[in-house]
Amino acid sequence: MGEFEVHRVRFFGLVPAGVRCLACHPRGSRLALARTDGAVEVYNFAANYFQEKVIPGHELRTVESLCWAAGDRLFGAGLSGDITEYDLSGLSAARGVDGGGGPIWSMVANSTGTQLAIGCEDGSVKIFQVVPGGIQFERNLDRRKGRVLCLSWHPSDTHIVAGSIDFFRVIDVTSGQTVQRIMVNHHVEKAKRECVVWAISLLSSGTVVSADSFGRVQFWDWEQGTLAESHTVSTSAALSLAVSEKEDSIIVGTSTGATYQLQLLPVTLGGQEKRWVRTKPFQFHSHDVRAVAHSPTALISGGLDAQLVIRPLMEKIQKKSYDAALRKFTFPHRRLVSCARKARLLLFQFSQYLELWRLGSTEETGKDGEVLPLCQMPEHLVQLKSKGPEHIYCSCVSPCGTWVGYSTASRFHLYRVHCDGDGVSLRKVPKVPKLLPPAYQLQFSADSDSLFVASARGSVHVFQLLEPGGCKHLHTLRPPSGCSEAVYLLAPSADGHWLAAVSGDWVSAVVPSVHCPLLQHHCTVPTYNCAVSALAIHPSTNNLVIAYSDQQLLEFSIPEKQYTSWSRAVQSRGLHRAWLERDSPITHITFNPKNPSHILLHDTYLLCVLDKSLPLPDDSTLLMNQSTLKQLPETARKRQLHAFKICKKFQPLLFMDLLDENCLVVVERPIMDFKTQLPLPVQQKKFGT
Amino acid sequence: MVAPGALRVVRCGGSALRGARAVFSADSKYLLYVSGDFVKVYSVNTEETLRLMGGHADLVTGIQLNPHNHMQLYSCSLDGTIKLWDFMDGIPIKTFTVGTKLLALYTLASAEDSVFAVIPKKGERDTFQLVSVTLTKGAGQDLEGKELSVVLDGVGASMKHIAFGREVCSPSGFFFLLCSVGWLVLVFFSQMNCIFSLSTTKTKGGDNRFSCVVCHPKEDCIATGHADGKIRLWRNFHDKKEYTYSTLHWHHDIVMDLAFSIEGTRLLSGGVESVLVQWHNESSCQKDFLPRLGSPIEYISMSSDGDLCCTLHTDNRISIINSNLRFSRSIQGLIKSRDVKTGLVVDPRTKALVLNGEPGHLQFYSLQSDQQLFSLDIVQRQYIHQAGLKQSDLVKVAFSAQGTWLATVEESEEVTDPELQLKLWFYNEEIQSFELNTRINTPHDNHITDMCFRDMDELGDDSLILVTTGRDCVFKVWVMVEDTDPEGDVSWSCDFVGSYHNYQATNCCFSEDGSLLAVSFEETVTVWDSLTWDLKCTFCHPPGNIRNICFGRLTCSKYIIGATDYGFLCCWNLLTCALEWSAQLNVVVLQPDPLSEYIAAISWLSKESSLFVFKPNEPLPVYIQRNLCKDKILLAAFVPRDEPEITSSEKYPWLRKSQLFFLTDTQICETKILLTFFFKLAVEESLPVTPFSLLLGKHRHQQAQEDTDLGKLVVHNKQKQASPAVKELLHTPAHVLPSASFLCTIFINSLLISKEKKSAEEVADEVEMESEKAEDDSDEEDITAMEQEDTSHMELLGEMTCKLSKSQEKELRKIRKMDYSWISAL
Repeated sequence: MGEFEVHRVRFFGLVPAGVRCLACHPRGSRLALARTDGAVEVYNFAANYFQEKVIPGHELRTVESLCWAAGDRLFGAGLSGDITEYDLSGLSAARGVDGGGGPIWSMVANSTGTQLAIGCEDGSVKIFQVVPGGIQFERNLDRRKGRVLCLSWHPSDTHIVAGSIDFFRVIDVTSGQTVQRIMVNHHVEKAKRECVVWAISLLSSGTVVSADSFGRVQFWDWEQGTLAESHTVSTSAALSLAVSEKEDSIIVGTSTGATYQLQLLPVTLGGQEKRWVRTKPFQFHSHDVRAVAHSPTALISGGLDAQLVIRPLMEKIQKKSYDAALRKFTFPHRRLVSCARKARLLLFQFSQYLELWRLGSTEETGKDGEVLPLCQMPEHLVQLKSKGPEHIYCSCVSPCGTWVGYSTASRFHLYRVHCDGDGVSLRKVPKVPKLLPPAYQLQFSADSDSLFVASARGSVHVFQLLEPGGCKHLHTLRPPSGCSEAVYLLAPSADGHWLAAVSGDWVSAVVPSVHCPLLQHHCTVPTYNCAVSALAIHPSTNNLVIAYSDQQLLEFSIPEKQYTSWSRAVQSRGLHRAWLERDSPITHITFNPKNPSHILLHDTYLLCVLDKSLPLPDDSTLLMNQSTLKQLPETARKRQLHAFKICKKFQPLLFMDLLDENCLVVVERPIMDFKTQLPLPVQQKKFGT
Repeated sequence: MVAPGALRVVRCGGSALRGARAVFSADSKYLLYVSGDFVKVYSVNTEETLRLMGGHADLVTGIQLNPHNHMQLYSCSLDGTIKLWDFMDGIPIKTFTVGTKLLALYTLASAEDSVFAVIPKKGERDTFQLVSVTLTKGAGQDLEGKELSVVLDGVGASMKHIAFGREVCSPSGFFFLLCSVGWLVLVFFSQMNCIFSLSTTKTKGGDNRFSCVVCHPKEDCIATGHADGKIRLWRNFHDKKEYTYSTLHWHHDIVMDLAFSIEGTRLLSGGVESVLVQWHNESSCQKDFLPRLGSPIEYISMSSDGDLCCTLHTDNRISIINSNLRFSRSIQGLIKSRDVKTGLVVDPRTKALVLNGEPGHLQFYSLQSDQQLFSLDIVQRQYIHQAGLKQSDLVKVAFSAQGTWLATVEESEEVTDPELQLKLWFYNEEIQSFELNTRINTPHDNHITDMCFRDMDELGDDSLILVTTGRDCVFKVWVMVEDTDPEGDVSWSCDFVGSYHNYQATNCCFSEDGSLLAVSFEETVTVWDSLTWDLKCTFCHPPGNIRNICFGRLTCSKYIIGATDYGFLCCWNLLTCALEWSAQLNVVVLQPDPLSEYIAAISWLSKESSLFVFKPNEPLPVYIQRNLCKDKILLAAFVPRDEPEITSSEKYPWLRKSQLFFLTDTQICETKILLTFFFKLAVEESLPVTPFSLLLGKHRHQQAQEDTDLGKLVVHNKQKQASPAVKELLHTPAHVLPSASFLCTIFINSLLISKEKKSAEEVADEVEMESEKAEDDSDEEDITAMEQEDTSHMELLGEMTCKLSKSQEKELRKIRKMDYSWISAL
């Protein structure tokens, strides 16, 4: 018999939305990503590409283009015709400004970030001024027939190049006149298909780079209107294009899922003459690569297969570090599953609905690694659709399984679940207090009689849940000093005395919980320069275990307001290198009541039981040593043991929780299951098939 | 004995045309290519081989035009010399002796008086180094080229592993690069240090070992071919970190060679797919193909004006291809089949050698022009290149005497249940080719082991008979029958099936007049009357199965010769039905000359082949050439001469009417390619017959005579001999044993102790001292002993059939003596 009985859940049918566009922050520290469902995410390069902020989508707000302007302001524009500014601290979209030219296909900011140019369906290119608190229409540039699919500013902001179907044109910004109109298909005799210029870029040398639906990347001299070079990179369309800041490297994404790098290389060693050469091909995606970005050290691509791939350029990286490895992200860096431990229910959060499942059960026992037959199959209890076009921000089911809450951008909903025999009834709790900003995280207390709602500006609302179905706002906890960022993680303690909250400006605050008479802020964990990816309070010792996005683990004693000695030992010794170079952040932490020294944590690819009583591994030992340990005799095994016991059996792992002392639930989403739900990729002949 | 050195072995054809990349002359009118030890000059326009430049003593491994004089050519060879030729006149200008094996040659325009060569590193196996060889200027023709300076260690042995790049105007000079199986190195020549090196490893994705490297003629770009079929184009390689490459991928297996066009805009690549791929502008999307080139491409070379390119194929063919990828013409050498199952057959019509060509084809190879005359598709089925696929292949070929009929046997590679087809082809004068006449499915139930036509010129077509022997223990006789249809065509059908004690039939052979057919069944030779198909007599020489049989010709037509597995050569007299003589010789090839009574036997013993030529009526061979060549001789054939040769006829009567050709295989361990060469025996012309040489020859002959006189019969301990004699007695099949009354006396005799034993032993000592010159004594004695045992036993058998008089016995003894002396030469 193994240590745990594991519920291996594979019925969470999550299909992440494809990546539509990418925007690299000009200073290269952040990456904004928009998905096809309208969600906008911000990744922080410094914090191991952690998915720092997520703004859920909206049915009516598709995002075709994102750009950073005026410092750290993020703008998005889409086919709704609106330009939207995103509130990154409040994690919401501000009200949009109508572009006035029909659906917007592209938007770019100029080099200083003071102006935005949009390309519209009606063929117009409009310039907006970025002003504090919003944007202001400035002027219309020369309008020609044909939708403007892509735009690019000249680095000196004097010209804009606009790509359309079959042609692109160069517009003088000051006069607003089209100074050059180039047919991309002119030299092809009797071209039957139209040629869509999907992406374009204007280099400082005056060269226009275009990527078109014929799979060509072409280099034009815009002043002469002549074609300088043409590279057919693919037999299908070239969809996206990004130029490095030094303008010596280009990444092109194609509809076959391949990306290509083009480099400006000297023709002869030490010679002055340079030429663009197609160099490395990469095949990371299975579907269209709709968005590419070129950071100084990496090629970034996002495809309709929902993958974000960060491929480092080895020659630009000075030393071997986390950045030097290829990173692929498919699943979000946060929890979409919550678990009612006592009632054995799982709540799955999709973009517009929730699903409540009851776990199956078995009466048999077996040996380690054996699959037990189910006597009761898992049961899909209820599907709860959110009303309106807004997508769900967060959701939670109470530990007793009778309360379900979720929040959208504008509303907070609480439901009472009644399970009587086979029937399940869901009743909306009336008169839920209205919250103005959205809730970013919901958490029920362990005894299910109160609900914590994480909210904007570092505040946490506390609701009291009343039988048979009601709730009352008790009070709002606020951080001592003003905090502008929203709280995105909550962790109540098992005894109900403590609540830990994490806010966006990376302060981990600990506030005493409801039952304490004073309800005051207790302490703040020392600031760390990385985002918190998961945290939990130990049920018996009330130690707060925090996992950071750079894979550091800290243990903070709440009563003593300081790091524990174990945590200090870990810090002084350093974690194992293999642990630090892992791909994805820890998304959930839980504890084993049977063995207080055990901490259970998981990321997308592994499940780890951290045993504090065992010595820490050093870099010379193998981190993932479970399989080798199994082969060793008992005595030798003792010597080889170290604190990290890692299991990689369940992949990709979206959620893991401990139901009781020896029962574990894991939620997997096999990549193949999810790939089959994607549309068919472009047919390609493969040799040998 | 025969004076050694008078005859020598000449490599006369079938050599690999792909020893090195071919070179076009500067005006693209001539193609220079390597053919074994020779360099050939081929005119591209007239499709004629103009000149044959020979002089190297071993394989030529590299040819390069002299960059300072386009009418001159450098060639290097494994014999350790570099030769400079005037290829327009075909004369050697200079010979530079380097002294070590040269494996590849490179020339550079900027290096005035030196060339680069790859040599094996001294003291280390399988390690090679690139050296620059200073070509000293001197007046004479033969010069020393021993001034070597090592440029780089650890390079690959193949010429494809090194390429010299463009000369850079900057002070760094020109660069060259090398790729070996594991690494790519870029070296700037002036600095003589490696500035860029890259090792490849076998990754999970595939096997990306380098297979070849070429340099872009105008730009700093290197193209490398890889074992996984990819071509990588490297650029920016002056920087250790910022180097970059792009990949072109079409080939599914190793890229054998690459070539850039003169401007570098086109890149040609070839591999095992037999497709020449042309890549434009280094783009993976724009490519052209020239498919169906017949066999894997090994080398590609481009002419300097970019008009032509030529590919060298593994089947020994050179294809010349136009710049617009149109196949132009080809030079086909001898195709090296994996396994020459058909043996060497001479086409009576063209005097061409006929053997397995490309899979399922029969090639007609002209030895005079060293070219394939034509290829006859026998199997007539698409050949699919795939490992493990069972293919049908041609295994047996026989021509009728006039060459009007051709019989072929093909079988699939299945071991247990072969799919057999016997095809008979008739030569059609109008189309000048063979036409299929009859196809017989499953002529035998098991593999066909041998096949022969009855060779009768005078009797005409009616007597034409084909005999096939099979492992299904029968031989079948096939005759022509007239078809019933009005056109009066003929077809073939089975006439007689013979078998013998359910033994597997292994060989068959007709006597010269066609009246007798000899078929060997495992250990026994049976002789059949070809008119009545009665079994006439049997011969047996245990132990060992019969490997080859043949009838004697002309004056020796009463003899039949057989060679057995255990190394015996036996000659039986058909008139007396007795063993005439036998000798211990591990005969691999037994080949009678069709125009004379001579028979050539080639033996294979302790890693060397020896040739014995004999007349069946004399047990003493006419000619012995020991250590004919180091390789195992697989097959041999006598090819009739057009005119009988007179000059050498006195000394070598057996070479008067025919020439002996033989085929060897040389397995080069590194590349695992079978190189096959044709050799012929030619009379050494440079050695004139002087009185002295005659005297010497006479003296030797006398000495040999003395040897034979002195070499009295070595009689062995009879007791020792007795037990094998009894054993032989028991082992001999009962049906060949004479009656017990005969055996009794012999048996008793064998137990008696000889009187002359002592004296004979003394003599034997003398013999050893006098006649054995270079032989290992103990070994020799063993062989002799064996031989004696056997001969005496044979003698027993011989005695059984007819009582011998004293004088006859004496004669027999004499034969034994002679036997001994000849064997001692072994």
